[in-house]
Amino acid sequence: MLAFYRHNVYVTTATHAPSTPAHPTLNRPNLVSVGTVVWLSSELMFFAGLFAMYFTLRSTAGGLWAEETAKLNFPFALVNTLILVSSSFSCQMGVFNAENLRPRRTGRLFQFSKWGMTEWFLLTFVLGAIFVAGQSTEYAMLTSEHITLNSNPYGSAFYITTGFHGLHVIGGLIAFLLIIGRAYAAKKFGHFEATSAIVTSYYWHFVDVVWIGLFLVIYVLK
Amino acid sequence: MKVEAWVFLLVGVFFIPVATVYGFMVAWMEPVGFLALYLVSALCLMIGVYLYYTGNRIGPRPEDRVDAEVHEGSGEQGHFSPWSWWPLVLALACAAGFLGLAAGWWIFLVGAGLAVIGLIGWVYEYSRGDHAH
Repeated sequence: MLAFYRHNVYVTTATHAPSTPAHPTLNRPNLVSVGTVVWLSSELMFFAGLFAMYFTLRSTAGGLWAEETAKLNFPFALVNTLILVSSSFSCQMGVFNAENLRPRRTGRLFQFSKWGMTEWFLLTFVLGAIFVAGQSTEYAMLTSEHITLNSNPYGSAFYITTGFHGLHVIGGLIAFLLIIGRAYAAKKFGHFEATSAIVTSYYWHFVDVVWIGLFLVIYVLK
Repeated sequence: MKVEAWVFLLVGVFFIPVATVYGFMVAWMEPVGFLALYLVSALCLMIGVYLYYTGNRIGPRPEDRVDAEVHEGSGEQGHFSPWSWWPLVLALACAAGFLGLAAGWWIFLVGAGLAVIGLIGWVYEYSRGDHAH
């Protein structure tokens, strides 16, 4: 961290009072992490609006729901969900490595235990991309069965809820690429890089949990 | 951070019976109200639980102790950018994007390209040039 500030010509830091030693350990919360959690709680309310829309339409058009949910491909969605959930685990492995300031692998390519943050985040990116591709495939299948955004209330509810979630996943994928890029740009991988990796993982886990909620509501509860 | 954590945890717990009572009063027929109230509870508990565990992990800060001195709060507070042009670039890109939706799709594409430049410029501002580390 000190090396980071030495080269930073614009940023100033508060100086220590000369009579006291510097704190040996970091004893305050990371402001970026706290801010991210507060922002994610507001994202929760965004999805609350979408859930409320879904349930309101469902309560007014029950017959339509019974008819249209029969067209959903449950096994396909379940596999897609498991892929997204597994990406959260690979993301967390990347975070553990970022916290230990290990950006790259130290072993051979398939020595998973020696992987660094970059490798785990790339795996997460691939799993997330497979999820988005699966979602697109599912949209194509449902469109062929005449469920579209403007076909009926069910179509609107289905595409708006899953669509906004899909946009969040795509945003997360872009964030992973930017974080991986930061790891490559840094000659010395430090807390600046690790912090951004950790808050990106918060976002990813959040989007994952929201999908589990959507999956239960759309595919299980129907 | 016990005070901050409990403020959010107690508000979060408060909204659980509120949402339940609301649900019974509308006979669970009106989903927006009780759903939103339950998720307000989740919103508060999410922040509260995070602050609670963070507080346990980092221990008492100077502002949590009655015998703390002002200088104990000195030192590294975090990384703050003193100024940056990149948010302005990104804001212009978003403005161009919305103008494109209203006036013509070709402007939207210009905005999208500018957004890519602005986003990458912003994210890598402290990783390159004078700030390379």
